[in-house]
This record gives sequence, structure tokens and C-alpha cells, in this order.
Amino acid sequence: MSRRPDTEPVIELRGVEKHYTMGEFTVKALQKVNLKIYPGDYISILGPSGGGKSTMLNILGCLDQPTIGEYFLSGTDVSHLSDDDLSKVRGKELGFIFQSYNLIQQLTVVENIEVPLYYQGVSEKESREIAIELATKVGLGKRLDHRPTELSGGQQQRVAIARALSCDPAVILADEATGNLDSKSGGDILQIFDELNAEGKTLIMITHDEAMADRTPRVIRLKDGEVAFDTYDEPN
Amino acid sequence: MKLLDIISGVSLFRLKRAVILGVKSLWMHKLRSMLTAMGIVFGVCSVIAMLAIGEGASYEAQQQIKDLGSQNVILESVKPTNNTTAGEQERSLILEYGLTYHDILQMQATVPGIEITVPSREVKDFLWNRTNSVDGVVLGTVSWYPTMKNRDVVRGRFFTKLEMASSAPVCVLTESLARQLFPLEEPIGLTVRMRTSYFRVIGVIEDDPAVAASAEGMESSSQSSSEGMEMMVPMSTLKDHFGDVLFKYRSGSFEAIKVELHEVTVRIEDPDQVKPAALAIQHILERNHKDVDYKMTVPLDLLQRAERTKQIFNIVLGSIAAISLLVGGIGIMNIMLATVTERTREIGIRRALGAKKKDIVTQFLIETVMLSGAGGLLGVALGIAIPVVITHFAGMKTVIEFWAPAMAFSISVMTGVLFGIYPAFRAADMNPVEALRHE
Repeated sequence: MSRRPDTEPVIELRGVEKHYTMGEFTVKALQKVNLKIYPGDYISILGPSGGGKSTMLNILGCLDQPTIGEYFLSGTDVSHLSDDDLSKVRGKELGFIFQSYNLIQQLTVVENIEVPLYYQGVSEKESREIAIELATKVGLGKRLDHRPTELSGGQQQRVAIARALSCDPAVILADEATGNLDSKSGGDILQIFDELNAEGKTLIMITHDEAMADRTPRVIRLKDGEVAFDTYDEPN
Repeated sequence: MKLLDIISGVSLFRLKRAVILGVKSLWMHKLRSMLTAMGIVFGVCSVIAMLAIGEGASYEAQQQIKDLGSQNVILESVKPTNNTTAGEQERSLILEYGLTYHDILQMQATVPGIEITVPSREVKDFLWNRTNSVDGVVLGTVSWYPTMKNRDVVRGRFFTKLEMASSAPVCVLTESLARQLFPLEEPIGLTVRMRTSYFRVIGVIEDDPAVAASAEGMESSSQSSSEGMEMMVPMSTLKDHFGDVLFKYRSGSFEAIKVELHEVTVRIEDPDQVKPAALAIQHILERNHKDVDYKMTVPLDLLQRAERTKQIFNIVLGSIAAISLLVGGIGIMNIMLATVTERTREIGIRRALGAKKKDIVTQFLIETVMLSGAGGLLGVALGIAIPVVITHFAGMKTVIEFWAPAMAFSISVMTGVLFGIYPAFRAADMNPVEALRHE
């Protein structure tokens, strides 16, 4: 079992709760979540559907804000930021990888990778260089000008990974990243994740695939909106 | 989030990228984009084309009025229609009516600012060149007639004051009369006969523009008419040769008419004084003439009336333009709203990847403006082409004012902005979480 590192956490959730009001009912999607994620962590967040995985992803990804509690990302409290500042944090500190790749259809491989750089205001020349480098890194150096429709699922997901890496984010969030792929392609993607983690990247994978638990050093299980299990909290 | 903040916050680099992206997005749905822009194309094109045609029509009308001279007041003698007077005059055998020298003298004495007067008197009869004859008019007038009437002497010269004083038997022919009477010869130096008098041709003057324009429409029938077949001689010469009383023998009937002056053109020095002077002249004529045996035309009045008509026309046109662009704008808005819904997921992705609300607004606004701008450009091109084609094939005069395409184009772009704002803000206001989940 892994040990809790001694460094400052890159993500810290303090008493985070997320409530949704549906008519007269209030659904508590997340309850009393206290969580510290450290640089270099490689985490699977597991749980049954309805367990709060998606809400967790939205909160961690700064796509949504907690109803109660505080969220520190790289030392800043992001739970009360304005919409614009939140957008900036998302672009700069976080990399997203989605189950359905979510590439922009009208853009080529290299242009898709450039999207986060564009919103960060990186110059055209520089962003093109970064995009080509990353595309080469994920093995798509020869398909720079292809459109998503001309690529296989595995290739599309690799574009998405390159895109997630483009702004050199503090944390990469992967939502069922292999869910739409066959086992071979999925395996390749996971291989890339392993390599990224080996390079020191912080990866959080949200999945319902139990097999993932064996792959990542740290496992967090959510149940009914609460953290039911965290590898770091277990006595060694 | 204010629109101005958004516009000012966009750097040139981002604008360029957003434009490229916009082109790509629009290009993905070529047919749809094209059809959407069509609304604007036809709006802009019809505005420009209609303006050009309207402008051309009113230009022609105004030109004709301007040819009469905007500083002029034109007085003409007309046969009175009053029955009782006509009966009285029948007894005296000579029909006497119209403007007199007395009128002119009184005007010159009492109306301030009268520059020159051009009196003229006409005698209608056959004009002869040996055995060749034309039903024409001899016009007795003054030496400054061409300047006052804005008509050029094309060959030879007009008669002089000296020739007026000496009642010289000289004449100037209009172009069409010269053509009819001397089809094969150069008329200058030759003689024209009317009744028993001979006149030496000293010059050829261009046709009256109004007569020339109406003759163009009739072509064959114009040959039989005496309209435009004018021969000008000094006033005194006319009086010497034909006297004060004109006899007419037409289709068996006999008529004796005494008209001192057929037409008087009065020029007013100060253009601002034309209207008061015209009023004063009218008072004099009303006092001197019991019957209305004269007609007064103030070209300035006509011009102003024509301008008012044009203004009304422009308002009507403006409304049509506004409506067509409104329809085009609604079309654009409709499609943009559909596009926003269709691209909800893309919006979600972009928001997740760091796009601010204003980035999304800019992106969609640029797309609408490009759509309407492209439509506007195409509309301008078509709108300029249509009047050219009309002029070429239908022979109608069209005038494209330089501001018309510029205005139509900027309105089309503004339509894009106006109708793009709502869809753009709707796109930006989407919840990123929901947008990402959108199928």
C-alpha cells in the first residue's frame, strides 16, 4: 500500500458538499468530502453509478462549485471564484480527458491540441510548436492535419490526451477515458497514463472499472456521495 | 458582461484566430450558411438596385427641370378658354390675347432683381428650302436666347444685338429642322423661305432637350409634327415680315390672332428671390389680364416638388430595405440559435478547456457578422450589377450613389451584430456541465 507523501497537496477539499435542488427535494450528491491530492498522485476514483463520481469530477474540474466547503487548487481557494477566473483556472491548471473524446469536429488534430493554448493567449507560433511536439509524443506526428472523423477511437483519445497536456496542467482528470475503446486501444491509452505518471504528472481517473483499482497506487471509492475508501487513509 | 467590454477585450491575434475558426465552422455547413446569407444578399441587393433605379428616374426628371433654369420664371401665352370673351372677340374678328410688351416693361419697373428677359414670339407655317418644305415655327427672339435656355449653338453662330437692331433677315435652325430641310447640304449660308420672306441661315442650335426626349419615344410620328422644327430670327425681323396679327389658314378655316409675345423668360438674379419675384410677377399679370391667357412656370417650384417626391420615395424605399433586412436578420438569428443548440457540446468542451464567456460570445458573434457581412458583400456586388444590366438592356437611366452600397453593407453587418447578440449570449450562458453532457 502507498503512503501519504510529505509534500503540500495540489488539491485539497475541505468539507465539500454539493446539493442539488429538484423541486421540493434536495439531493446531496457529495457529503463531507475531505480529500488531499498530492503532486504525482495516480488515483482511481471508483464507485457505483449515482455514487457521486460525476459530481466529484465536476467539482475537481472547476466546472461546478461546491455548495458548502472549500476547494484549494495549487494553494488557491477556487470555490468562490468568478466565472471568468474559474475558466482561467480550468485552462491553466487542469487537463480534461473525456469518455467520448470531445474533440472539436471542424478542427484538425493539431488545432484541437491548440485550443487550450489559444484561450491562455499563447502566441500562434509557440502554440503550434507545442501542439506538434505533443502530437508526436502521443504517436500522431504523421496525422497533424487529419480531422477527428478520419481517426480511430484510440487515436482520437490520444489527441485528447495531447490536448490535456498542452498547457502543462497541475492535474489531469480522465473521465472513463477507456470506456469507449476496445481492450487493445484502451490498454494503449492506459500505457500512456502510466508513462505520464512516471514523468511526475498527477492523474485522477474517474471510472467504474474495478480493474483500474489494481493499476493505480491510490484508490478512492465513493458511495452515496461520501468517500468510503481512500488508500492513504488505510493503516499500512 | 457588456458587449463593449467583449469587443475591447479581443486582441488582434485572437480576432484573427476567431475569424479562421468562424470560416471553418461556417464551411462545415456550406449550404446552410449560404442559404442563411441569402436573406441578407437579397435585402442588400434590392435596396441598392431600387435606389439606383429611383435615383436614375428622378435624376432625369430633375435634369429636365434644371434645363429650364432654376433661376427662371417662364411665362407663356395661352388661348383663353373663357367663352364670353371669346364671343366678344369673334365680333372683332381678331383674337387678341397673351403677354404684351407692356407686361414686360411693368415687370422691369416694379419687380426688383430681374436680370434679363427673353421675349419670344412665334409664327407657325411651312418653311421652304426650294421645293423641300417642313411644317415649322419661326421664333422671334433675342440674341441671348441660347444662354438663357441652356442650349448650345452647334454650328455657325447665333444672331447679334446689331442684327436685332437692324432687323436683319438671318435665322438659326434647330438640328432636327436643319436635318429635315437640308438633308444633303450644309445649311449655313443658304436661305429658308417662309411665305414671301427669305432668311439667311447663320447657325444651327441644338434641339430643345424636352422635345428631343419626347420625340425619341414617338420616332415615326415626330416627322409630321412641327414640334422641335424651330427657326429663330430676331424679334424685330419677325415683326417686320409678318406684322402683329397672325393669320392662320388651317383645314379650310380662317383665324386671325394677335399675340404680342408667345413666351417670356425672366431670370431672377438672386436664387433666393425667385419665389417672391414669381409672386410679384403673378400680381402684375393678374392686374393686366382679365382672363387667364397666360401660363406661369417656375422651374424651382417644380424642382422642389420633385425633390419632395424623391424624399417620399426614399422613405418608402428605406422602409422596404428595413423590412427586408429585418427578415434577413431574423433568418440569421434563427439559424444561429439552431447552430448554438447543435454546438452545445462544442461550447461545453471549450468552456472546460478554459474559454471564458466572452470568448464564446465573440466566437458566435464573429460567425454571424461574417455571415451577414459576406451576404452584404455579395448583395452589394449584385446590387451594382443589376442596375448596370438594366441600363444596358432596358435603356433606363440608373444612378448608383457612392453611399448606397456603403450604407447597405454597413447595415447588413449591423444586422448581423444585432441579431447575433442573443444567440451568442445564449451560447455563453450555458452551464458547462450540462453543455458537456449534451448529446
